[in-house]
Amino acid sequence: MPTITFNGISKSFGANTVIKEFTAQVPDKDFLVLLGPSGCGKSTMLRMIAGLTEITAGELRFDDRVVNDLSPKKRDIAFVFQSYALYPHMKVRANIAFPLVMDNHRWWHHLPVVGALARRAVLKRPDVAEKVDAVAAMLELTDYLDRRPRALSGGQRQRVALARSLIRDPAVYLLDEPLSNLDAKLRAQMRAAISALHARVRKTFVYVTHDQVEAMTMGTRIIVLNDGVVQQYGTPKEIYDRPANVFVATFIGSPPMNVFVAEATGDGLRVGDRLIPASREVAGRVAARGEAVIRMGVRAEKVTIHPADADVENAIEARVVNVEHLGAETVVGFTLRRDEGAGVVGAAATSGLFSARLAGEVPLSADTPCRVGFDLDTVTWFDHASGRRVEL
Amino acid sequence: MAVSQATRAPRRPRRPRGPLAPYAFAGAAALYLVLFAGVPILKGVQLSVTDTQLINPNGGSSVGLDNYAALVGDEVFLRSVVTTIVYAFCTVAGSLLLGTVSAVVLNRAFPGRFLARAVAVMPWAVPTVAVVMVFRWIFNNDNGVANAGLSALGIGARGWLTDPSYGMPSVLVATVWKVTPFVMLVVLAALQAVPEELYEAARVDGAGMYSTFTTIVLPHLMPTLRIVGLLMTIWSFRRFEIIWLLTGGGPAGVTSTIVISVYEQAFGNSRLGFAAAIGVLGLLLSLAVTLVYFVIETRTERKNRVAA
Repeated sequence: MPTITFNGISKSFGANTVIKEFTAQVPDKDFLVLLGPSGCGKSTMLRMIAGLTEITAGELRFDDRVVNDLSPKKRDIAFVFQSYALYPHMKVRANIAFPLVMDNHRWWHHLPVVGALARRAVLKRPDVAEKVDAVAAMLELTDYLDRRPRALSGGQRQRVALARSLIRDPAVYLLDEPLSNLDAKLRAQMRAAISALHARVRKTFVYVTHDQVEAMTMGTRIIVLNDGVVQQYGTPKEIYDRPANVFVATFIGSPPMNVFVAEATGDGLRVGDRLIPASREVAGRVAARGEAVIRMGVRAEKVTIHPADADVENAIEARVVNVEHLGAETVVGFTLRRDEGAGVVGAAATSGLFSARLAGEVPLSADTPCRVGFDLDTVTWFDHASGRRVEL
Repeated sequence: MAVSQATRAPRRPRRPRGPLAPYAFAGAAALYLVLFAGVPILKGVQLSVTDTQLINPNGGSSVGLDNYAALVGDEVFLRSVVTTIVYAFCTVAGSLLLGTVSAVVLNRAFPGRFLARAVAVMPWAVPTVAVVMVFRWIFNNDNGVANAGLSALGIGARGWLTDPSYGMPSVLVATVWKVTPFVMLVVLAALQAVPEELYEAARVDGAGMYSTFTTIVLPHLMPTLRIVGLLMTIWSFRRFEIIWLLTGGGPAGVTSTIVISVYEQAFGNSRLGFAAAIGVLGLLLSLAVTLVYFVIETRTERKNRVAA
């Protein structure tokens, strides 16, 4: 039951560095999520923890033990593959029990025929059978123990993969995008199932995903990765409320955080050619940093939208681009450009597009003028050049 | 699996065709088989119940089952059947074992792998006659490398192609050397279908290299090995050139398989009808092996279906 310590871990394939200098500590029994877009190095990271990929430099420790050169088995880990990696010719029972069969391996199991019989005997041993039955019952697989993987649905295969990882009661569970091949409904179910599993076995989980919903709902801690560089390490709440930089801010949240470029002037903050009313004091603080331009991050749910003729504090003129009614809430896309005509599609339509998340049904229609308001106190500020969060 | 299903292109709308179209396609293949396999087989069966001689191929008269009756009690024929089975079994066992081992070795990444693969398939690509010439030289009593090497080691020379106790092993060595690359190629292709994650899952589950092979890779290869085994067996039953050119069925008839007997009876003793009868019995042997294969295959399939 280890604390996992990453000490300046990096990984290169030839001249190509995929993980740059990573240092962090994951407390025991935590649910750590490695989150990032495709190709950010998160799977490589997980495979390094597992021992499937060699660590180029740095030190990986489980408690005080350096595990860099230990085989996956000696690290006492379980790994759930994205493709499940079930053994196709074995029945579910044999798949789940495979780690136990290997634990009971003797040299004479290498003999042909004799070995096959011996492995079958291990499967039938009461203690092994009991463990398999218990794990299968926990994951509702009891009825499928005599089937082969290809006769199972995606969700069932996923549970077999989980069962196989559970059977040996490892210290660390490593899961590589285990839900990405499931449909949306099943994914929500399995999210809950895996969270419940974590609560039940009380072991360290490291979970790789590119899905921020999975990260936010399941993780007790999240590492956000991009281009092999750790962007932020913190609890889901910290990451949502206090994103370390613009990348994290726009990667987390659906719709993502709106980031406006603002300029401090004598009259107050300006976004484009629009002056934010009553922002003279904030503009003063921005100017005090010695740089007039700053980026202003506003969560979509902190944005309010008003009719064009309403008189509201801190509101600026904008134009509604699209309205998505989701039932309980409405997502309104808006732009600050004046020339935004209809018929713009593709990247041009989404660049400069901001969004607001409003509760309930909102009587707004696309391509109409409006006023957009937000509370300057809840804004997250980012340095314009580096994109890092700054305190004002 | 799920991915390939999801990305499969939507089926093109089917153009209405005449109901005869499928029969026309299958019929072309059937016609080919009937013309070039069916007719000769029937002709062979017809020949086998006559006393046709080589000098007068169309002048035989029917003798009923006399040829077969003669064969059943013929010790030379029975010996050739046993020789054929021994030859086929050893060839298949040897080439499957060597082919699988070399495929597994060549499936691993190492520098120069492609060169090694190219070299390993060369025996298969070389014409049989050339292979036999090389082996005749290797096995030559007086100046072959086999004897030269063994003499140098103090073991002493052997009559590889002249001593009846070494005739069969010599033929087997040459045959296995020639046919193993075929097994290797097929197994190599099957190995590439084993997903990388299975090896990794096995590593995580604590399986060593050898256990991974026996418990995960080998079951994956079994269907391939079964079909290759069948093909190799049938091909061994019919293999002629290597044996004929290397030993001509000798020494003292120890390498005289069924096909060698057919040739000798037909063109040595001019007994076309008798030779045809031997050929028909040889065909039955191949059919028996094929039958065994299909029984095994359907049983495995049924077992899988029950589990599915």
